[in-house]
Amino acid sequence: MTSHPIATSHVFSTILTALLLLIHSSATATATATALPVNVWPKPTSISWSSPYTIATLSPTFQFDSPSSPSNHYLSAAVARYHRLISSERHRPIYDTTTTNFSTSPTPLQSLSISVVDLAAPLIHGVDESYTLSIPNYSATAANLSAATVWGAMRGLETFSQLVWGGRRRVPVGVEIRDAPLFGHRGFLLDTSRNFYPVEDILRTIKAMSHNKMNVFHWHITDSHSFPLELPSEPGLAAKGAYGRGMRYSVADVGRVVQYGYEHGVRVVPEVDTPAHTGSWAGAYPDIITCADKFWWPAGSPWADRLAAEPGTGQLNPLHPKTYQVVGNVINDIASMFPEPFFHGGADEVTPGCWKADPSIQSFLSQQNGTLSQILETFINKTLPIITSHNKTAVYWEDVILAPDVKVNPAVFSPEHTVFQTWNNGPNNTKLLTAAGYRVIVSSWEFYYLDCGHGDFLGNDSHSDVDSNGGSWCGPYKTWQKVYNYDITHGLSEVEKGRVLGAEVALWSEQADGAVLDARVWPRAAAMAEAMWSGNRDEKGVKRYAEATDRLNEWRYRMVGRGIMAEPIQPLWCLRNPGMCNTVKPFVAQ
Amino acid sequence: MTSHPIATSHVFSTILTALLLLIHSSATATATATALPVNVWPKPTSISWSSPYTIATLSPTFQFDSPSSPSNHYLSAAVARYHRLISSERHRPIYDTTTTNFSTSPTPLQSLSISVVDLAAPLIHGVDESYTLSIPNYSATAANLSAATVWGAMRGLETFSQLVWGGRRRVPVGVEIRDAPLFGHRGFLLDTSRNFYPVEDILRTIKAMSHNKMNVFHWHITDSHSFPLELPSEPGLAAKGAYGRGMRYSVADVGRVVQYGYEHGVRVVPEVDTPAHTGSWAGAYPDIITCADKFWWPAGSPWADRLAAEPGTGQLNPLHPKTYQVVGNVINDIASMFPEPFFHGGADEVTPGCWKADPSIQSFLSQQNGTLSQILETFINKTLPIITSHNKTAVYWEDVILAPDVKVNPAVFSPEHTVFQTWNNGPNNTKLLTAAGYRVIVSSWEFYYLDCGHGDFLGNDSQYDRPPTSSDVDSNGGSWCGPYKTWQKVYNYDITHGLSEVEKGRVLGAEVALWSEQADGAVLDARVWPRAAAMAEAMWSGNRDEKGVKRYAEATDRLNEWRYRMVGRGIMAEPIQPLWCLRNPGMCNTVKPFVAQ
Repeated sequence: MTSHPIATSHVFSTILTALLLLIHSSATATATATALPVNVWPKPTSISWSSPYTIATLSPTFQFDSPSSPSNHYLSAAVARYHRLISSERHRPIYDTTTTNFSTSPTPLQSLSISVVDLAAPLIHGVDESYTLSIPNYSATAANLSAATVWGAMRGLETFSQLVWGGRRRVPVGVEIRDAPLFGHRGFLLDTSRNFYPVEDILRTIKAMSHNKMNVFHWHITDSHSFPLELPSEPGLAAKGAYGRGMRYSVADVGRVVQYGYEHGVRVVPEVDTPAHTGSWAGAYPDIITCADKFWWPAGSPWADRLAAEPGTGQLNPLHPKTYQVVGNVINDIASMFPEPFFHGGADEVTPGCWKADPSIQSFLSQQNGTLSQILETFINKTLPIITSHNKTAVYWEDVILAPDVKVNPAVFSPEHTVFQTWNNGPNNTKLLTAAGYRVIVSSWEFYYLDCGHGDFLGNDSHSDVDSNGGSWCGPYKTWQKVYNYDITHGLSEVEKGRVLGAEVALWSEQADGAVLDARVWPRAAAMAEAMWSGNRDEKGVKRYAEATDRLNEWRYRMVGRGIMAEPIQPLWCLRNPGMCNTVKPFVAQ
Repeated sequence: MTSHPIATSHVFSTILTALLLLIHSSATATATATALPVNVWPKPTSISWSSPYTIATLSPTFQFDSPSSPSNHYLSAAVARYHRLISSERHRPIYDTTTTNFSTSPTPLQSLSISVVDLAAPLIHGVDESYTLSIPNYSATAANLSAATVWGAMRGLETFSQLVWGGRRRVPVGVEIRDAPLFGHRGFLLDTSRNFYPVEDILRTIKAMSHNKMNVFHWHITDSHSFPLELPSEPGLAAKGAYGRGMRYSVADVGRVVQYGYEHGVRVVPEVDTPAHTGSWAGAYPDIITCADKFWWPAGSPWADRLAAEPGTGQLNPLHPKTYQVVGNVINDIASMFPEPFFHGGADEVTPGCWKADPSIQSFLSQQNGTLSQILETFINKTLPIITSHNKTAVYWEDVILAPDVKVNPAVFSPEHTVFQTWNNGPNNTKLLTAAGYRVIVSSWEFYYLDCGHGDFLGNDSQYDRPPTSSDVDSNGGSWCGPYKTWQKVYNYDITHGLSEVEKGRVLGAEVALWSEQADGAVLDARVWPRAAAMAEAMWSGNRDEKGVKRYAEATDRLNEWRYRMVGRGIMAEPIQPLWCLRNPGMCNTVKPFVAQ
């Protein structure tokens, strides 16, 4: 893609009349928010702009004054980055406005002072990301950004960068922002196994996440299709399991991603899915993988006899001693490559047919009256301690205790050391898991699976004419509205709500790779980001998707200007004609 | 997007074993096609590879020998372009293969001789695009490409370029191809009004079309949302109606697109939609546009009283004399800017409420007992002759005679001068139109609308505000035309379903369409490709094998492979499978309809 289609420089607004505009638009917006001439996404928790509504410009010598920077690399990297961004970005909001009610400050803003209380607080779940940003009306005075931690300061810098706009670098003054996230876990899952993504794609995605104040990159590194991760103790896994020499992540690549994440306030949580989804391990270790390289769903057999949830068979054999040697090496390597305290062990979609196809498992089942659930429990009991031995919190997919067939007694998982990630059944499974005392990450497919709705990837598929939901198992496409409006704590008690860490949107990559990454993820991940940061309701508790439409649209253009090729959500005409693209009742196709 | 994610150079296959591979895969493929070690998309009508299956390399001094080139600019441009492509492309098919049954020719292929019978045949509908390509087994001999026209030669050059692969520029020899399209009209519609596309996006799309042997770029230039086309006689329309100064097409831009189209064998058919979809004209001419700048669907009113099919109101007023002065200038300018003999006049979705909102129309309806259909007929009767005066064939959307409310007596449209484009009701409307004697372009939304399924763009839409446990209201993806049209859906559509032989003869072909409410250059490539490629093959050589069986199964691997080659050529097409599926042929199939669990 060589062009940036809607260069914002094409737009010739002079000064904004957001007040006027937003009166026109269908307004569920709050009074304080409507006053601002420029949007911040995700919307801050509390933002006010005091009369007289005044706009200043940034001084040509505008500086960040950050005395703590020298003592914290991540802070200094962020300050330098935002200085570059503010120096080069010339975002022009797309509202076509010709009048103004704002006064203009005669003195440019000279600096933003940044103060951080606790420079040492590490980037972990629950770290204080709050900040306050104060831009005084007398712009000769410095603006102030205060945060408890470096990570909160980064959120505040992002907010400040979004308050600046236009060729003359305007910024509203007399602004007070107090801001903090509703949920500590605001993530995006990328599957780099079904298709490979170069490191540059991952870095660009992390950058986009930081612009949306998202803080967890859940890296689903491996699966049955490829094993792109080079591990010092197990070099054969990538050598035999990656798609090719140029489609692997080296130790240095991982370090680069992790470091880039810290610099952007984004945790990088690794997942090496086990014991299912491991067909790609069979290249190096055929003896520890059951049903490897088999056709996934034999002709004429019932669905219950499938060998995998989708093409690409193979599961680790928990009865083979060598399994634990290999898995141990993998966990140990990853634990040292990723400082992040969460370690995702996978454990989803154990397929009975794959284990049943193995002679050693067959004999255990028949001769010892064993069950597949016992076999899975054996695997967990031998591998979970390896994870916790590194002082990691283990994250597992909910299947490991909620699957209908193969599952483990929940008593195996202590709520202190285990987090479950839910993907089925919408709010119902979130309820089940939190009621059982577990902390939960929500990524319900019905709302948060970004890959859905683009058809199915199976070949020779005779049902192509009946693809009423877009042809994929999880269709239709999840619209940004669907993502935005999902209440992840629906139906929970206050105690249960407290156990919801947050959410992740997910891009499974059967039909995605770097060619489509940006447009598939953005701006829908941004919709989740706001819902997790400040919610999807206004101060009266009313869903604010209506007011969010124009803001998200505007934000999409700003993201494009920042190099993220996000999908457009409306004709540009809608931004130019606020309110005119609304519908005043549920739309019914004719 | 700064990265090209799956660089084909990452793939380390040495020599291909397509024979072996395709035996593995679920085979409805024909015997001749399976023999080739490299794919051509769209699949040629007839292709054979003779024993002994031999592969040569292109000589480092490989040349196109095209004696006609100096006398035809388009041919010489195409020859130069394909020479550059073949010199630089190093496509490695992604099948992971380690063995081979092929023999290798000791002598490299030195040249391809190109002969064209009729250098003067213009690029118009129905022009002969057939070609034969012969690469003899004795590669010391030149290969031969023969075509009736320059345009057929371009198709043959594309085929030849796809037969070459790998770092050593291998090419199968002993190959004979006879090829010609099933349908003469193989198009793509791009709406550049809802959102703007820079010229570079259009050129890249035309290039991609030529790689797929598509030949019509239907340019839906204007609509109610913006008027990006600068017209010498009516400069105010773009000055007041475009999204901005940098979001207009100048006369030079149009010339560049048209010229680029000819060089790629792609006709550029302009559409300036009238009389509806003209809200953007109101900036320059508020007096000739009814219901301009109104809220599209007033609160509390029934759908029948809407002012437009979607936000963005405004229709030309056929009762205002000035309308014809402006429309006349527009048509005259466009007729001279676009040499193409087809001129698309639009005429879709005339919304009753918009005309009824106008006092002059109200008085015509009440005082003269007139009807809206009469008003539309007036418009057609005054503007169709302007189109035909330029010796153009008028293309209209089917609505103008098939709409349930406002429509024109078909007798107004002579089958000689009018083509209809159908978009509703699938094969049924194609049947209606062809049975009435008209030529038809098929772009049924149920199959060919590439924008569908990505949600709705309306704001303040309360259908999304419901508890997460309630049933889905947006079960089709939240847009009126959802769900997303998969490549399989596009590929499998039989556009002449249910037609008699005579009626079939009236189907010119098809167009996939990208309406741009939720698309712009940021998503263009992935939204269009490879789904447009699916249509391209169905229109070129069909969607069935030689036994008449649908060949989507065999097409999956080929389309997947072709997608990677397109990415290598700079078209950021969407992946349709994990790479694993190409590496493990047949393993991603399903042997019965998939049922979600």
